[in-house]
Amino acid sequence: MKKKKKGSHVILSLVFLILGFMLAFSYHLTQNENNSTNITTSQWERDMGLRNQLVQLEEKNRDLQSELFAKQQKLVEIEKKLAEEEQAYFNLAEEAEKYRIFLGKVKVKGPGVVITLEDGQYDPYGDHINNYLVHEHHIFMVINELNVAGAAAVTVNGQRLSHNSYIVCNGPVIEIDGNQHPAPFEIAAIGDPEVLTAALNLPGGVRDILVNENIEFKMEKRNEIFVNPILGLED
Amino acid sequence: MWLPILGLAVGIFLGLLTDIRIPAEYADYLSIAILAALDTLFGGIRAYLQNVYDEKIFISGFFFNIALAASLAFLGVHIGVDLYLAAVFAFGVRLFQNIAVIRRILLTKWSTNREKKEKS
Repeated sequence: MKKKKKGSHVILSLVFLILGFMLAFSYHLTQNENNSTNITTSQWERDMGLRNQLVQLEEKNRDLQSELFAKQQKLVEIEKKLAEEEQAYFNLAEEAEKYRIFLGKVKVKGPGVVITLEDGQYDPYGDHINNYLVHEHHIFMVINELNVAGAAAVTVNGQRLSHNSYIVCNGPVIEIDGNQHPAPFEIAAIGDPEVLTAALNLPGGVRDILVNENIEFKMEKRNEIFVNPILGLED
Repeated sequence: MWLPILGLAVGIFLGLLTDIRIPAEYADYLSIAILAALDTLFGGIRAYLQNVYDEKIFISGFFFNIALAASLAFLGVHIGVDLYLAAVFAFGVRLFQNIAVIRRILLTKWSTNREKKEKS
């Protein structure tokens, strides 16, 4: 009887062990579940907050993007306008440069031609000696022809001519802007050499006339001619 | 006498220590099983007090009720009927009945004891 009672105690304790385990485990589990639900709730709130923030940021982003596009459009327009203005300024600058060259205010360098006019060989049995000399109107003809043909700068014996230069006959010499130059006269012009030579070589043109008037006419093309600016303030 | 209490303490200790994660849907089965176990326990106490206690019935009832309740809940979940409510209801009613009977028996015992004491 006693033995049996002890055996029953053991079995009863086993039953209690299982019961206790189940109770405690269930309690533990419920506790955990509550905790986890709390965590998920707070996480959900956090999630929601972050999502809202994201949405706000995206909206802001979109606004800024459209603003950026508008600004870029504006920028393109401004740039276009600026480019046009620049083009205009560039044209103006080019024109100013051209006029400065005409006025002789700047140094000019470029290809061109050099024409040398020399008195002809005097034939004592022939005509009057005047028919063998280079006169200022011969120089005028050459210079005018060169200018008409598009020469940018013209010099006579190294003296540059400007828009209001004068050339006068002064006995055996000619006077250009107060400086006297004897023959031979070396006229240098900067411009397209082909055009200039063609203009002077026209049949019945300047060269023919000069040659007919017993003047030695020499012309050569140069790849590079330097012309210094006219010094001084005369205008 | 102390062995069952020691067993209970060890069981609680183990239950608190174990950190096994079981899915939420199986937690229902566990609660049903606990209810069955409690019911059987109080039934056993009542039977003991009424002098009809049989160890075999108690032990078999303890495990069988747990298994039955859990399987009933399992079946209910899978066929879409809340059968675990039947288990909860049955065990709950029996739990209260058993506790009421135990209380009455204890009360009569206590009062007869007092009468005896006063007489003597």
